Amino acid sequence: MRQLAVTDLHKAFGTHPVLTGLNLEVSAGALTAILGPSGSGKTTLLRVLAGFERADAGTVTIGERVVDGRGGHVPPERRRIGYVPQEGALFPHLTVANNAGFGLSARERRGSRTAELLEAVGLSGMGSRYPHQLSGGQQQRVALARALAIRPEVVLLDEPFTSLDAHLRASVRADVHAICRAAGTTVILVTHDQDEALSMADQIAVLRDGRIVQYAPPQNLYNRPADAVLARFVGDANLLDGQLGEPAGPGMVRTILGLLPLEPHSAAIAGSGTVTVLIRPEQLELVADPERTSGQPGTLGGRVLAYEYYGHDAVLRVKPDSAAGPEVIVRTVGCPELAIGAAVTMRVRGPVVAWTR
Amino acid sequence: MKAIPAPAATQPVLVPVRAGRAPRPAGLLSVSAVIAALLAVPLVFLLIESHGAGWSTVAGQITRPLTGTLLWNTIRLMVVVTVLCAILGTATAWLVERTDLPGRRVFAVLLVVPLAIPDFVVSFGWSSLFVWVQGFGGAGLVMTLAVYPLVYLPVAASLRAADPGQEEVSRSLGVGRSRTFVRITLGQARGAILGGCLLVALLLLAEYGAFEMLGYQTFTTEIFTNLQLPTEVPTSCALALVLVAISLVVLAGEARWRGGGRVARAGPMTARVMPPLRLGRSAKAASLTGVCVLMALAVGLPTGASVYWIVEGGVPSVSNSVSVSMLSAAWHTAAYGVCAGTLDTLLALPLAVLAVRHSGAVRHFLERSTYLVLAMPGVVIALALTYFTEQYLGSAGYQTAPLLVLCYTIMFFPLALVGVKAAIARAPASLDEVARSLGQSRLAAFSRVTLRLAAPGLVAAFCLVFLEVVTELTATLILVPTGVQTLATQFWQYQSSLSYAQAAPFALMMIGVATLPSIVLGRFFNRSATGQGREE
Repeated sequence: MRQLAVTDLHKAFGTHPVLTGLNLEVSAGALTAILGPSGSGKTTLLRVLAGFERADAGTVTIGERVVDGRGGHVPPERRRIGYVPQEGALFPHLTVANNAGFGLSARERRGSRTAELLEAVGLSGMGSRYPHQLSGGQQQRVALARALAIRPEVVLLDEPFTSLDAHLRASVRADVHAICRAAGTTVILVTHDQDEALSMADQIAVLRDGRIVQYAPPQNLYNRPADAVLARFVGDANLLDGQLGEPAGPGMVRTILGLLPLEPHSAAIAGSGTVTVLIRPEQLELVADPERTSGQPGTLGGRVLAYEYYGHDAVLRVKPDSAAGPEVIVRTVGCPELAIGAAVTMRVRGPVVAWTR
Repeated sequence: MKAIPAPAATQPVLVPVRAGRAPRPAGLLSVSAVIAALLAVPLVFLLIESHGAGWSTVAGQITRPLTGTLLWNTIRLMVVVTVLCAILGTATAWLVERTDLPGRRVFAVLLVVPLAIPDFVVSFGWSSLFVWVQGFGGAGLVMTLAVYPLVYLPVAASLRAADPGQEEVSRSLGVGRSRTFVRITLGQARGAILGGCLLVALLLLAEYGAFEMLGYQTFTTEIFTNLQLPTEVPTSCALALVLVAISLVVLAGEARWRGGGRVARAGPMTARVMPPLRLGRSAKAASLTGVCVLMALAVGLPTGASVYWIVEGGVPSVSNSVSVSMLSAAWHTAAYGVCAGTLDTLLALPLAVLAVRHSGAVRHFLERSTYLVLAMPGVVIALALTYFTEQYLGSAGYQTAPLLVLCYTIMFFPLALVGVKAAIARAPASLDEVARSLGQSRLAAFSRVTLRLAAPGLVAAFCLVFLEVVTELTATLILVPTGVQTLATQFWQYQSSLSYAQAAPFALMMIGVATLPSIVLGRFFNRSATGQGREE
């Protein structure tokens, strides 16, 4: 069921266009991430959805109700949108319980609803504290409880985890995800962090220059990005030249790593000419015993230029032996002895994506 | 008039979050425009009055040789006292905030006390005891002692809030201690020093009581004298126009000097406290003596003189004056103060919200236009209101309580605006937005969130205006309702007739009444300067 729909949304500040014909549909109960670099219009979109800004053109529909469009503009307080801004923005002069119950009527506040809310976010017994007595993660959870209190149609999370420490971020993220799931709420998460989007969202909408360039589930976005820029944005990427047509044959592309099978959904699949081929660093595997395998078809020999060791895996920058080739990035789990200048041989796993130029 | 300096230069840096994104606040803009128009009323009256008197007549008055004398008197005193206050205020602020001066916590409080002593009481203390305190020298001495806290207070706050890391980086880059002081420390405090000097200069232009007592003639005293003579309307207008022009030059000069300085800082401000500079043995002794002498001259002598005259006059004369007249005067003073304070705080709210939360050319113009009031000394505002009401309302308006309160409200509006702006800045707009997303109307969100968070600052703004009203003399003398005395006017009457023993209790009473709001203010500005404003 459709919970939120945005059609042909335009918004400019002065002469500076921010949203330029944005379309988006969000289904009920889903967690949708709006992913984009800073300045792409994420926050503006969120503020239009919440009603703090008015769209210049286009419509916003929540449930069955048009909240912004020809018919007028519904003010934020009548939209039932749970808004969790950056850093939580708890009211510093109110206790945790009064923060959580802020949107409730005076009678509801006296009832058990506040306590239930705090329990739902794992903060039972903290009701009489003040925001500054809480950790960053706890503050975020209070902000979430406060937003959920009004039984919102949609919860908007505006980069809620960026202000947290790295070690705290993962656990708070998981908590928030679980709480929203349990509440069955439709969630829109705005973020510039692709790991956050990939790990949390059911659907990801990538925003660039005021419009959505791809709207897909995380795996599709990562494996079949719509263009090369997007491929780089959602993860590390090797972008190599490839040749379609003879002698590669249909469904295949010729690269410095030999003939590679193309993804069936790949944008460039038939025809001929030069294409850009995406090979994710983890698609490259190192072949044992480089002495014997080097020079074999489908493999590429090279020397390690630099490496970063992470414990669970390692990332190598390799200069191919064939002088023309660009550097490639390899992410390897079973890592060989790491040394700058060491000889390695690489091979590609699985099909690749290609775009015509 | 005395003013608590603007903390603008010392506020924590506010990132203009989403400035300009909020929808155009039509209601707020129109209310603010009405308020700005109200504030411009005295200037408009003055121009109408001058026009009525005939511009050529007015111009003839300006070119009289007397204008030259007044100009010379006013400007030389302004320059000398401003420079002395800048040195005294900065030096004491640095000693208290950055060195291990013994008793610096106590001095931090004591050094501000002169703010609670009206200038004319300081003047009274000195001139009643020492005949030689008069003329240019006397005025310079008295005014420096009375108003240096206007520099001390903002400079101390800015030194406290400044990032100590900058000085450390400077030292680590091989720049010596004294050059670091000049290049970094003074640089950090520059805006605060300039802001303080501006207030000192404007105050000197507006002062009447102290100069009248010391027999020193300036534009303000001359306007006041002329006001007694109904035939001198063109003269008064001419002098008032010149006075406004000088004030405008001072304001423009300060704005130009201040320039577009910005504080850039990556990451949140460190709460780190810099270890105080260790003064050498002789330096410490000299500094301590200096500060103690300053306190004796600025606080000890004026209060001591009042006590002396009370003791000298003996119990009968004192109890005579203290009785009914004092209670009535105190009551009227407090009532006017409360009315003007409340009115100013309320009127400043829309403009403060506009200034803090919105941007745009109209907003900027409205906010700036209110600073025009700073260029109008109390005597000019009172004069403009007097002439206008006499002419158009007859006896109905002149010397009534509402007109006096209106005069105070206009005079002290810029001060209230500074306080209210600081207060609103403590309540981020994002909190209001969250409240609205939770189903609160615009008004409910404002009252449940913004007003609560801004409350301490609003109280501070109220106190600021109240304090000003208690120590105001010039406009009060002109506009006070017939048959009513305030503490200031009653004091003035007694001291004019040389009844020092009767005047002294009123001086002490004024100091007493002004002290409490001063303490509230000191606490508020200390907290806002260090960012420790979290409500429990």
